[in-house]
Amino acid sequence: MELKSIKDAFDRVANKQKLSYSKTNEIVQMLSQEIEKALSIIQNSPSSPDTLLDHRSVLADVKKMFVEVAPVNQLEVAEKELNAALTKYPKVLEKQLNPDISKAYRHNVDFDTHIVNQIIANFFYRQGMFDIGDCFIAETGESECSTKRSFMEMYRILEAMKNRDLKPALKWAVSNSDKLKQARSDLELRLHSLHFLEIAQGQNSQEAINYARKNIAIFADSSLPEIQKLVCSLLWNNNLQKSPYSEFLSPALWNNAVKELTRQYCNLLGESSESPLSITVTAGTQTLPVLLKYMNVMANKKLDWQNIEQLPVAVELSEEFQFHSVFVCPVSKEQSSDDNPPMMMSCGHVLCKQTINKMSKNGSKSSFKCPYCPTDVDISRCRQLHF
Amino acid sequence: MEIDPVTNGNADAIMTESAPTITPPTTTPVPSSRLSQLTESLKLEHQLLRVPFEHYKKTIRTNHRFFEKEVSSVVSGVGDLADSDWSRDDTVARLSSLVSRLQGLKRKLEEGSNVENLQAQRCRARIDHLESADVENLTEWNNTKLKRILDLVDIDIFREAKKVIDALKNREVASALTWCADNKTRLKKSKSKFEFQLRLQEFIELVRAESYNQAILYGRKHVAPWGATHMKELQHVVATLAFKSTTECTKYKGLFELRQWDVLVHQFKQEFCKLYGMTMEPLLNIYLQAGLSALKTPYGFEEGCTKEDPLSQESFRKLALPLPYSKQHHSKLVCYISKELMDTENPPQVLPNGYVYSTKALKEMAEKNEGKVTCPRTGLVCNYTDLVKAYIS
Repeated sequence: MELKSIKDAFDRVANKQKLSYSKTNEIVQMLSQEIEKALSIIQNSPSSPDTLLDHRSVLADVKKMFVEVAPVNQLEVAEKELNAALTKYPKVLEKQLNPDISKAYRHNVDFDTHIVNQIIANFFYRQGMFDIGDCFIAETGESECSTKRSFMEMYRILEAMKNRDLKPALKWAVSNSDKLKQARSDLELRLHSLHFLEIAQGQNSQEAINYARKNIAIFADSSLPEIQKLVCSLLWNNNLQKSPYSEFLSPALWNNAVKELTRQYCNLLGESSESPLSITVTAGTQTLPVLLKYMNVMANKKLDWQNIEQLPVAVELSEEFQFHSVFVCPVSKEQSSDDNPPMMMSCGHVLCKQTINKMSKNGSKSSFKCPYCPTDVDISRCRQLHF
Repeated sequence: MEIDPVTNGNADAIMTESAPTITPPTTTPVPSSRLSQLTESLKLEHQLLRVPFEHYKKTIRTNHRFFEKEVSSVVSGVGDLADSDWSRDDTVARLSSLVSRLQGLKRKLEEGSNVENLQAQRCRARIDHLESADVENLTEWNNTKLKRILDLVDIDIFREAKKVIDALKNREVASALTWCADNKTRLKKSKSKFEFQLRLQEFIELVRAESYNQAILYGRKHVAPWGATHMKELQHVVATLAFKSTTECTKYKGLFELRQWDVLVHQFKQEFCKLYGMTMEPLLNIYLQAGLSALKTPYGFEEGCTKEDPLSQESFRKLALPLPYSKQHHSKLVCYISKELMDTENPPQVLPNGYVYSTKALKEMAEKNEGKVTCPRTGLVCNYTDLVKAYIS
């Protein structure tokens, strides 16, 4: 795609529009000048009937001049040029961009407006746009989102963290300590560490040590090395910047804590850490070009797009959209399932059960050659994998 | 097409705000796949550039037509004056009125050009917005994109449409006819018969009211000119004269149904979207459909599905239900513990019970537990040295 050609085409339009404007302006100017001139000549001539200067001859002059200059023609010429540019630009757009992205749309699928509205409202709330969310709810007549209150609380905690106030965050983390441990999150320790560092930076080593004893020591089981580093940093309290522990000054520490808190908070709510709407739309942005290309290629072939069970093309989404392990048998190209699970052979290569059955002629052969290495595979030693 | 009720927040402003994020020159090479992915996704933005342009074009055309008419009428005014026998005073009066008319014209020209410039600016801001998309700020850009899909940027255009739709819903064709007249040339070019259908509907309404004479007069004036191209439909509708609106004849009963008005609304939406280069379906739905299909896996509908998957949410599951599943050509393994991708950098390791986790996660666990690892799903404890690497091709 060439954005430059789009820009150029648009510049041409804007240019011609300016030209056309100044031409019109010029013509209007000229018309009014000439008419005013004629008017003043007529008005200033003595008003006796036998005057030499007949007002009609003045008018005839003006008329003659207008016929010669042909202002309407001039306008038409300017418009013609402008029109050419105006017609060209949409053509450039159509060529450079995808003019109809609804080609890969299933028209027989109607989204429930009510559900979509709920999703949108929820999106506004989780982005912290509470006013817009409220307005949206009011205008669509949807019922109040159950999650609004929770997200308001989350934004209150995050807002405090922005101002380096950890109290609300700590309060939340401590009261959800067990759940966080279950989720294997070290958020609580991270927040305590940040608080510890804040106290230490305030040149109050004694208080920092007390705080660590009370709140941080209990994490020794799981995070001894981190705690050691933390406490050691007290030795360079005055000049942390030039110490081996300068990393503790990094704002990334705070940013990561904010991220982790958002993540855990949403998870405990039963929500994803990124807005599900934005995940889906971004995935859609990556998917649409592939589908559109496919539809263009397949335009002449009959494809029951409205009723297929599986997309006809594979779409490679970026890593962050990979939520589940998918195993595709490299031989049969089929996705594994409960009936057809992945099996590892003695050499470490993995195939689907059905493929292994086929290679061993349904168990009539006790061994076969691995399709990927020279190993002779003993069927009894193949075992099922769980991803 | 949905008229989005959200009017807060001017999305154009959002765009220009986020546009000038200057990314520092980066030394890490950007994978070309991501770059081409970006280019491809930018190609989806036809509508973003097209819609404001059509609006701009319309303003230019209307303004131009107006000025051409005015100028030519002033010129012919002078001509008429020169050819007539008006007294001197009358001539002076007429010339003065021409002068003030021209002054008004100048003012209008100024105003018109201001509107045009604003609209041109909007078109340009959109191009700049596309240009600002960059692999480095992609997340941010995608967020802005979602906001603009939700906020519906071209709200004034939709207001224009809503006026016509509301009128049609009240069974009034006047504003729809005005709209047709405004866009006459373009509708003609695309061989639209929307105006014809409006006329037919009015005709039917006259028959319904049993004003047969009026219906015939109306038919002569407004319906007959379409005869050359749409004779069959014309005959069909005009024949309603022979029936009453309560007819049971199935062929004609349908024509009298009030549902016909909804058909007109639908047709108007279609014509309107075509004119502005817009998709009939809401953009959000198009993106949602594609995204949901790509994300739809049998795993998403399972009980313990990770909350990170949008399809773990009831509402998204419902939307995705009638859509096709995604298709995969290659294995993609995600570590149960770390949620990281298992690839050659971080290969999968198999525990004696057949459960698979990433090397990184298992190594970390072993380091903390004196070389022992515990399977989080079965509780099995084994030595790190008991693990075998699996080869996934």
